[in-house]
Amino acid sequence: MSFFSLLGVEFKKIKRSKILWILLAATVILWLPSIFNVHLNFEMQTEGISPENNFFIQGFLGMSWFMFPASMVVGTVLLSQTERMDSGILKMLALPVSTVKLCLSKFVVLLSIAAVQIFMMTGMYYISAAVCSRTQNYNFILPPLFAAKETGMIFLSAVPMIAFFWMLSVCIRTPIFSIGIGLASIVPSVLVINTKIWFAYPMSYPFFVITSEYGKLAANPDTAQVELIPWIPVALTIVIVCLAVSCICFGQAERR
Amino acid sequence: MRVLLECKKVKRTGFLPAYFIGGILAAAFPIVIMSVRSEMYQAQQGSPVEILLGANWQMMAMLNILLVVTGACLLYQTEYADNAMQKMKSLPIKESSVFLGKVILTVIMSLVVLTIEAGAITFCSCRWFEVRDVFFTELCKNFGYAFLLMLPCIILSLLISEACENMWISLGIGVVCVFTATMLPTERFLFSLFPFAAPFQVLAGTNPTQVMHYICAAAAELIGLGMAELIFLKIRRYFA
Repeated sequence: MSFFSLLGVEFKKIKRSKILWILLAATVILWLPSIFNVHLNFEMQTEGISPENNFFIQGFLGMSWFMFPASMVVGTVLLSQTERMDSGILKMLALPVSTVKLCLSKFVVLLSIAAVQIFMMTGMYYISAAVCSRTQNYNFILPPLFAAKETGMIFLSAVPMIAFFWMLSVCIRTPIFSIGIGLASIVPSVLVINTKIWFAYPMSYPFFVITSEYGKLAANPDTAQVELIPWIPVALTIVIVCLAVSCICFGQAERR
Repeated sequence: MRVLLECKKVKRTGFLPAYFIGGILAAAFPIVIMSVRSEMYQAQQGSPVEILLGANWQMMAMLNILLVVTGACLLYQTEYADNAMQKMKSLPIKESSVFLGKVILTVIMSLVVLTIEAGAITFCSCRWFEVRDVFFTELCKNFGYAFLLMLPCIILSLLISEACENMWISLGIGVVCVFTATMLPTERFLFSLFPFAAPFQVLAGTNPTQVMHYICAAAAELIGLGMAELIFLKIRRYFA
């Protein structure tokens, strides 16, 4: 079975999972307060950030600190539980399919869920920006290229985090621990981004990236900037190690 | 009796150790923060409990709520997996009493978590601040208040997990609710009554009339959610 047909099978499995509704609800809830409190954006001039940039960044800050990582944890639960229900995984393992491919295809599905959420987020941003532009008589809509760049950066920086969550859900069989560790690890990321070793903590990457973007747009020299040198190698190592461990552990408990 | 049965059910799911570990993790926050930045907090005005809770309660409450949400999902996931729920329904037990058993179990475990956290606050106060006689009454009052405000959150998250057969949906709804709670403007009284937002409230430093409002609101929420649970079961049974 080729990787792509396996991927198709995995997407079919989550077709009726209603995960997209949960993601949509989260993005709608995220942007509603921004629409109601849009006038606050005009009071941020002292920071040196323009209202339209502030509107964009505040929304994405809200998403990347808790909602986005937590949705990824929910995504890992979805992928592992759909298989464990009625021992679906046993049937998959009985097929002549390599477990590594199976594991990686599930990881790609998880990445697509992340991409879908960011895409929804951007869509909702444009809708709410259009609404606010109408109500405030001020153009809140930023060029699509800028939005694409920022959201692309969030997505890329989230890959190590997603790999880590995926490893947790594959290796830890008791769901309460994999979910618990995943959710609990999100909470300290606010503290970690203020330390020098933020690059060792993958859960803080998306939040760190967007915070440093905020610093750039606000011309605020105090905000830490992304330093590619320790970060990229560390992030790559985390992705490779997490994926390798999850590929090795995948289906191990069932094959015993 | 029913609680013992629930305890037996969760024996191998890691539910109990998860609560202990969660409590220890939340308790570690004030200790770590104080050992790093003790001067900053020692210089502040106010009682030790007020300073420590003011600095750490947001994080600790967040961990508590996440623990409750995850625990609630797990308690019902064990019922829905392999159709254990249908077997429970066929027994001469009311469905609402199964729910009550789970509520009591979660409440007991939340008490354990809060006790661990209160221990950490006591430790920090003794280590870095001067402890006076009133300290323990203040501590008990604060954690009692936190416990009371957590009750609606426990019942609502169990209600959500009872309603959804699939674990990811109940977890997803729980996570979205927690997220909504962090987005709601806390200065608006009505918004801060949302069961997932109320546990972020701190007693120390809040004026007494508002505290009374919160206590009354929490009691009203408890009654409302209890009724909602009974009505929900009736309706579900009717359509099943």
